Amino acid sequence: MDYFSHSWLPYMYLYGIGGIFFFSGVYIVWKTGAIDLNRPHHRTWMKVFFLGYAWFMIVHGLFTILALQ
Amino acid sequence: MVIYFLAIMLFGTYFGRYTKNTSDFFFGGRRFSWWLITMSIVATGVGSHSFVKYSAKGFEHGFSSSMTYLNDWFFIPFFMFGWLPIIVYSKVRSIPEYFEKRFNPSARFLATILLLFYMIGYIGIGFLTLGKAIIPMLPESFYIFGSIIEITLMRAIIVIAIITGIYITFGGQTAVIFTDLLQGFILLFAGFLLFILGISYVGGGQEFWDLLPLSWKLPLADFNKPSSFNFVGIFWQDAVAGSVGFLFMNQGLLMRFMACKSVNEGRKAATINILFVLPLSAIVVGNAGWLGKAISVMDPSIVSPSTSPDEIFVVVASIVTSPGIFGFIMAALTAALMSTVDTLINATAAIFVNDVYRPIMKYAKKEYTDDKQKDKEELFAARITSMVITAAGVLSVLAFIQFPTVYEAHGYFHSTLTPPLVVAIFMGVFWKRFTPAGVITTFLGGVALMILGARFPEVFISPFDHGIEMNSDRPYSYIRAFYNLIVCVGVGVFVTMTTFIQNNIVSVIKKNNNSNTIMLILSVIAGVSFLLVILGSSSFQYIFPIFIIVFFPIIVTYYGKYDEELSTKGLTVYSINEGKQAFKGSKLNEKFGEKVEVKLQLSNHNEDEIMCSKNDLIKLGAAVGDLVYLSDKRKWLGGLKSIHSRFGKSHNEDGIVYLNKDQIDHGLFGNDKMLIAEKEM
Repeated sequence: MDYFSHSWLPYMYLYGIGGIFFFSGVYIVWKTGAIDLNRPHHRTWMKVFFLGYAWFMIVHGLFTILALQ
Repeated sequence: MVIYFLAIMLFGTYFGRYTKNTSDFFFGGRRFSWWLITMSIVATGVGSHSFVKYSAKGFEHGFSSSMTYLNDWFFIPFFMFGWLPIIVYSKVRSIPEYFEKRFNPSARFLATILLLFYMIGYIGIGFLTLGKAIIPMLPESFYIFGSIIEITLMRAIIVIAIITGIYITFGGQTAVIFTDLLQGFILLFAGFLLFILGISYVGGGQEFWDLLPLSWKLPLADFNKPSSFNFVGIFWQDAVAGSVGFLFMNQGLLMRFMACKSVNEGRKAATINILFVLPLSAIVVGNAGWLGKAISVMDPSIVSPSTSPDEIFVVVASIVTSPGIFGFIMAALTAALMSTVDTLINATAAIFVNDVYRPIMKYAKKEYTDDKQKDKEELFAARITSMVITAAGVLSVLAFIQFPTVYEAHGYFHSTLTPPLVVAIFMGVFWKRFTPAGVITTFLGGVALMILGARFPEVFISPFDHGIEMNSDRPYSYIRAFYNLIVCVGVGVFVTMTTFIQNNIVSVIKKNNNSNTIMLILSVIAGVSFLLVILGSSSFQYIFPIFIIVFFPIIVTYYGKYDEELSTKGLTVYSINEGKQAFKGSKLNEKFGEKVEVKLQLSNHNEDEIMCSKNDLIKLGAAVGDLVYLSDKRKWLGGLKSIHSRFGKSHNEDGIVYLNKDQIDHGLFGNDKMLIAEKEM
């Protein structure tokens, strides 16, 4: 049975369309000056944003690989 | 369980002593640390997404029941550096109040109606889940005073509603935070206890994994089937509409973040909650379903594959635990549900008092002898409102009782009610050009198009269905969120981009001698069109949204005054620093400083200021007039004993802080206590 529509297709859609929302948000808060990268704790928050995105990608990716093995 | 309920009720009511005014009742005095708020959000979040419905989906579909707990990160930049600082610095007490500041009173009025529907419906979903969870454990009837009382779903819900209503009514937000804190710990413990016992029951972790069919192990659902649970529908309903709804328009959650001592503490609470606590919560709420599936594969005579999904949590808990532990786990389940409902009741009361009661009192020109009397009367109104809302929530259960599972009822509810408000908030915050005509038409035109979508899904929603089969009983429960978002965004963008046309039309009308008659005709056509769409009684209902989308912007532009510069100051992401400055009331002091330990001394000054020494001010990086947060030295209190104030004139006694009696009373500081002072901004 082909599990593509149950595994990698939703994964790509989630982090593709979800990514458009996420990176638009990062861009807007940076471009508008709401997050000021000259301030150390704002730089930390920026890192947290990207690490958080990667964290969820890894969790979903890892579980998908384990399930398909 | 009875003992547990009584204990929670008394525990919550005890915190009524920390509620001295409406600010305390609704926002807990903006004093708490991030960790306390994070834990209290656990109970709220887990309760709202409940053991019952995720266990049901876990049983039917496996690990993909966790999807909705792991898709909230996409909007976090918008929330943490957009919406959160705006609502804190603009000092709005409710979401509709933001609409008045950013747009006009009409936008606030419509937002209030939509939000009250949303909140009361959410309370109804909570009560329904609660009833469905408890009913399997209760006998069908019992004898009392010689007569037989049948136990029905609605009767069980009413009893729970009374218990919840009592401690909310007397305790307020501080009671909610502390009962949720306690219940958060209990339900995480209970959920993992059940998981460990269940794993042990099936023979260990490897056996559990091997027993599950492959599709149950996948973390995301199938892309577009079945119609009752598919990835793409749930993505738009939950990851987009639900996440934005949860972070941006769930007044209960926002009030929790606003109860944090500062914006940065709110950010920390949101981050830890979404990154770590929600994934843990996904295991806590879904594992009974996964275990149920594993046991049914192992031995179908123990758990039948045909077990009702909404009952699987109770079935599995009763199989894998001993009677005492079963009672504890069921108490935790009900705790989670009560936590959601209590937050929502408190939040809905906040909306009612702020957006209905206060405007009515203002309109009636009600006079108060002083602020204390005003606060006392508003607090009384808040408490009465909490009771009325509890009753309204019980009644709203009737609207959701027809759905086969709580999950679908919740999905349908979210898809239908969140899009107009979500779009309006989002565009208001992140698009400076978004006008009052845009927001009001988004509400009215968006709702009209959503109603048409619900009435003719095969025409309006099917082009967006991503191949999901339409279930004629409950068409497009989830993917309708995509259609609803598209039409709301479409209306908002169209109206805002055509502002210059509306302005030209309005100036032409204003020059006409019959301008009032013209406007009256346009208003009647637009109003009747909206009513006819709602009633659905005309065969021309497809055309009516056009009148709504074209005429309402002209009406709003004609009657309303709007100054973009003034109305967006501190209220959009473009001007957060101006909002911050307005919050402080003077120029910002961004100098870094450290926290300073100080000893409390009583003073008889009248102003809301505290006095520190010159050297302490230097250490704090603060100047006279800066905002200060003063809390008890004991960190484990999480800010329960604390106050916000300003730095007044300095003195020369290092390590001493002077407070007046009101400040000491409000902070509940004991005599000669050591406090920690930190500059807020």
